[in-house]
Amino acid sequence: MPKCTINGREIEVPPGTTVIQAALELGIHIPHFCWHPDLAVDGNCRMCLVEVEKAPKLQIASNTAVTDGMVVHTESEKAAQAHRTTLEFLLVNHPIDCPVCDQAGECYLQDQYMDHGLHESKIEPEEKVRKRKVVDLGPIMLDAERCVLCSRCIRFEREVTGTNSFEFVNRGDHTQIATFQDRPIEHNYAGNLADVCPVGALLSHDFRFKMRVWFLQETASVCPGCSTGCNVTIDHRDGEAHRLRPRRNVDVNKSWMCDIGRQEYREIGLDTRVTGPRVKRADHWEGVPLDSALDAVAARLGEARGATAFVATPQATNEDLFAFRTLADLVGGTLDFRVGDPQDRVRVREDNVLLRADRNPNTQGCLDQELGRAGIAALLGDCAAGRVKALVLQGPELLRLPVAVDALAHVPYIAVMATHEGPELDRAHAVLPAAVWAEMDGSFTNYQRRVQRIRRAFPPLGDAQPRWQMAARLIQRLGGAFPAVSAREVFALLAAAVPGYAGLTYGALGATGRVLDAPSAPAAEARA
Amino acid sequence: MAVRVVTVDRNLRTGPMPILRGLGLTFKNMLATWFGGKAATVQFPEEKRKTSGRYRGIHILTQRMDGTPKCVACYMCATVCPAECIYIESGERPEKDIEKYPTRFEIDLLRCVYCGFCVDACPEEAIVMSRENDLVGTTRAELIIDRDRLMDRNKLIEYGPGYRPEEHDVRRPVRIAALERLRKEHGIVPGMPQRS
Repeated sequence: MPKCTINGREIEVPPGTTVIQAALELGIHIPHFCWHPDLAVDGNCRMCLVEVEKAPKLQIASNTAVTDGMVVHTESEKAAQAHRTTLEFLLVNHPIDCPVCDQAGECYLQDQYMDHGLHESKIEPEEKVRKRKVVDLGPIMLDAERCVLCSRCIRFEREVTGTNSFEFVNRGDHTQIATFQDRPIEHNYAGNLADVCPVGALLSHDFRFKMRVWFLQETASVCPGCSTGCNVTIDHRDGEAHRLRPRRNVDVNKSWMCDIGRQEYREIGLDTRVTGPRVKRADHWEGVPLDSALDAVAARLGEARGATAFVATPQATNEDLFAFRTLADLVGGTLDFRVGDPQDRVRVREDNVLLRADRNPNTQGCLDQELGRAGIAALLGDCAAGRVKALVLQGPELLRLPVAVDALAHVPYIAVMATHEGPELDRAHAVLPAAVWAEMDGSFTNYQRRVQRIRRAFPPLGDAQPRWQMAARLIQRLGGAFPAVSAREVFALLAAAVPGYAGLTYGALGATGRVLDAPSAPAAEARA
Repeated sequence: MAVRVVTVDRNLRTGPMPILRGLGLTFKNMLATWFGGKAATVQFPEEKRKTSGRYRGIHILTQRMDGTPKCVACYMCATVCPAECIYIESGERPEKDIEKYPTRFEIDLLRCVYCGFCVDACPEEAIVMSRENDLVGTTRAELIIDRDRLMDRNKLIEYGPGYRPEEHDVRRPVRIAALERLRKEHGIVPGMPQRS
């Protein structure tokens, strides 16, 4: 293993590691534009020049492999001058329209100008080469003037999606990026182009002019869109989510996420959210306080006992599922979660990048907690035969299923935990408002059996509560014990009760999650 | 430290003289007000007190030649505002070299502390202050003024321009020198988020 010294600090790295990676491991930030941890090295921006002792010239840190005994200086006089002059060169034709640029606040040019530049421009704004602005490429807006020609977008298209939409056109000062005949970006990963762009040349159409980024707070979470479980950052302000960004996790999503997942933030603040509990009277719905709604559900469950059925949802967190399972076991009813076809395809890929056919984030968690017991067909058969006196649904999916509607009409009492309104909720008899993923702490288990945490960005809308909390309150009303008042404590109970999760805590999950030991055969197969 | 000792004579003389002396002062001021034109008060609202050219009154959004706001909705004013009284929503302009403009621009005058930071922060000289200082309202909502009210030029003409970033602003060179010193000596550029 080669050992090198960077700014006087020694580090030993695996062979083939570049200087920029070794420096990052030491916490030393070498300025760069074109280098991206998940894209091939290009080395065209020349920003990461560092001084390597015994080398005749400055070397670019992104394409210089660490060799044994190498001594690197990233902040020496020579290196600092190289950073300043490179930056001045990159800014020669930059329009400096930061006030109207959405990238302002997370722009490499801005940050690095403040850190390494602070020079006076030698070029008057009128002398700059003008290029195309505000080119609409579908989900992406192109502004060629702001571009530093780092080719990150070109490499992303080549290596990740394989679509090759972008290329450099023209020469010299007039070089710019473009798609063929300005065709829009049509693949499902366009949002990543705005993320990989270090400057404001490629920006998201969806986020355009919505918010200045320095107002946003970040919460690390996991996308609930499919069983891949991409790590995301929720950017939010005053209880309103404004966008989702991928958060780097080398083992799950690298630095990417799909555009469908990016849209998940829209669901959070919709007008159609269920904000308060309600119960069905003879001919109308009546809004009631949560306590009395839970009292009513608990009374029904207490009466029916063995003649109850519970249907969990793979949209729920592990904590929700565990509390729900505890409730079902306490009452003694039948329990299942499999609704519809997609959940059987938890590991099936929809494309060759990230999307998976199972559109639920936590099917694997349901399987791990052995919630698939009776089978939904048997459960519906019981319903149709009138053997089920009370049915509790953790999500409204079953009410939407055409084949289930007739069977459910025979059930005298259906309570459903729902996040969003829909016509199907009219088939229930009590509706409990559930918090959505961004409003609660918890964990999802993805298709690789990786347990990853989601975190609460803002409080739930209205009277909504996490599903586990409502289940816990039902358990207490039915005389059971559920000794947990936070998701962290529920997870501790879960870890003690569910095989495979033993010894896991929120602390152990960390920022990027933990893969469960001894993965089942199909999961190992899917990963290969 | 030297201490100055003040001796007060508490043995006041009784009799009508102190009262007459006090009344004398009152009558002197009354006559000066009536006949000398030396009133300390002004006949508001018919008459208004003179304010300086740097007076920080109600804000004005300046306009381009075509009557659209000069503002490009960069949110610098909303960012710097210590009272968080500025609310902006932005939209797209057809001109590609302007791109952005405020579709909503509201200032909550009840929250505003009239510090003038928004005027300093604006890169486009799009927000200035007038000398208007007598806005009244019967509800709170009335005192959250919108874009059209802020762009009312007549108010600017009626009350006159107040605090604005122009050459004759005597504090401007001082401010620029102070900013320069901050940057040179401490490497601080105010308003820029410090990177962690």
